[in-house]
Amino acid sequence: MWRLCREIHDNWELIWELALKELRLRYKRSALGFLWALLNPLLTLAILTVVFSTFVRFPVQKYAVFLISALLPWTFFSQTMSYAVESIVGNGELLKKVKIAKSVFPVAAVVSNIVNFLFSLLPLLFILLVLRFPFHWTWLYVPVPLLGLVLFTMGCSFFCSAANVYFRDVSHIVQIVLSGWFYLSPVIYSLDLMPERYRMLLRLNPLAYILHGFRLAIYYGLLPSPQSVAISLIVGVVALMLGYWFFCRVQERFVYYV
Amino acid sequence: MNLRIQLEDVWQRYRVVRERPDSLREAFTRIFHKRHKTQEFDAVRGVSLKVMNGEVVGFIGRNGSGKSTLLKLIAGVYKPTTGTVEVHGTVAALIELGAGFHPDLTGRENMILNGLMMGLTRKQIQAREQKIIDFAELGEFIDSPLKQYSSGMYMRLAFAVAIEVDPDILLVDEILSVGDAEFQEKCDRKISDFCQRGKTIVFVSHDMHAIRRVCTRLVLLDHGQILANGPVEEVIARYEELIHLDLANPAAATPAGHAELLT
Repeated sequence: MWRLCREIHDNWELIWELALKELRLRYKRSALGFLWALLNPLLTLAILTVVFSTFVRFPVQKYAVFLISALLPWTFFSQTMSYAVESIVGNGELLKKVKIAKSVFPVAAVVSNIVNFLFSLLPLLFILLVLRFPFHWTWLYVPVPLLGLVLFTMGCSFFCSAANVYFRDVSHIVQIVLSGWFYLSPVIYSLDLMPERYRMLLRLNPLAYILHGFRLAIYYGLLPSPQSVAISLIVGVVALMLGYWFFCRVQERFVYYV
Repeated sequence: MNLRIQLEDVWQRYRVVRERPDSLREAFTRIFHKRHKTQEFDAVRGVSLKVMNGEVVGFIGRNGSGKSTLLKLIAGVYKPTTGTVEVHGTVAALIELGAGFHPDLTGRENMILNGLMMGLTRKQIQAREQKIIDFAELGEFIDSPLKQYSSGMYMRLAFAVAIEVDPDILLVDEILSVGDAEFQEKCDRKISDFCQRGKTIVFVSHDMHAIRRVCTRLVLLDHGQILANGPVEEVIARYEELIHLDLANPAAATPAGHAELLT
């Protein structure tokens, strides 16, 4: 773990510049540019809200807020994963030329998506204002589940980016897993809308605790129980340790396979 | 004279998997048929070499002779299978388009990214920014995306960044052949100035003009071994001999490009 902290610290300027590069490339040559970071969640939200509060009626008030409170962290996770999984293979040519800490690439993918996530809080604020949603002090609690989310995402990024070097199938599998995971996570619905006997299944989903933490704080104005806070942080730390451990084990051989 | 690079009995072995499992499906079938069709291939075989400061050493040899592998060993990209590679000082490599440089970013953005990758800090790069732009003769084009550059402009930027990073050892793989006569002369002056300050360049090329212009010593590689090591003209003569030998007796020539597949 210390090794990771040192690597990030030593290469911070490079990581930041790589993250900026990713953001620049994502929005370059589009007429609306960075506005897309704001529009994208709003439009997704609009579609899902229409579907699930008009066509399929969930018994949830102000569904848009209910949805966006878990949708934003979910989008962060899924977007980061799609970028991170290619981060080593995509920079393969560079790895073969320059001696460089390999962890900078997945970390930069996470960092660029954190920036994107912070921008996507603006549409959240916008929705809250438009719907005249009452202010809750618990909003200030959001950084805690966010920390769990970032750690968890980084762990998965390390694991998948390294595995993708050896088996390019991983990038395809990640896309499928992400779309399945979306429906198995409490994003468009919440735990109590599930039939009792399937709830156990959701308890096995590490992301469920993190997403629920976001929703409790933003939508319900409640603080999660200490256990669930502990679980989401532990899940994050464990994922990061496993992912980084795997990454370190195989990174020496990346150059021969990319 | 100080020692910059020391290679001692370096071997680099590639495991050429004839059919490496490229997908999970293959990996699974592998579990059942335990037959790994691996073949070992030594790209560098027992190379010992010393490079001092102030030298411009060129590596020459046919395709697949191990030149680029040797350069990567010096750069620290590969770890030698056996033997030791010792490098004293900072190393930077001239980076090609498609590797470190991104065509959609501007020259300036690429310059910063590149400098950071070679170990400079942002401040250090900003301090050298004007020198890089002037040397590369880019002027206001520095803020245009790289894809609009001509190959000459691109090459000038890459060279300017690498030389202004001012490493102790600069690694150059087959790139200095672009640019007009005037710019080449400028590069040559920069290189000799660089070496007079006690720095070192290792240069891989097939371009004998470029080699004659800049190198102070040549190393001829063949099948991963050093065949000759010494003054430029002598080694070039030896190299030409080798090629003529091959032409006269094609059966003796081993399939070239074997190692090329790997790099």
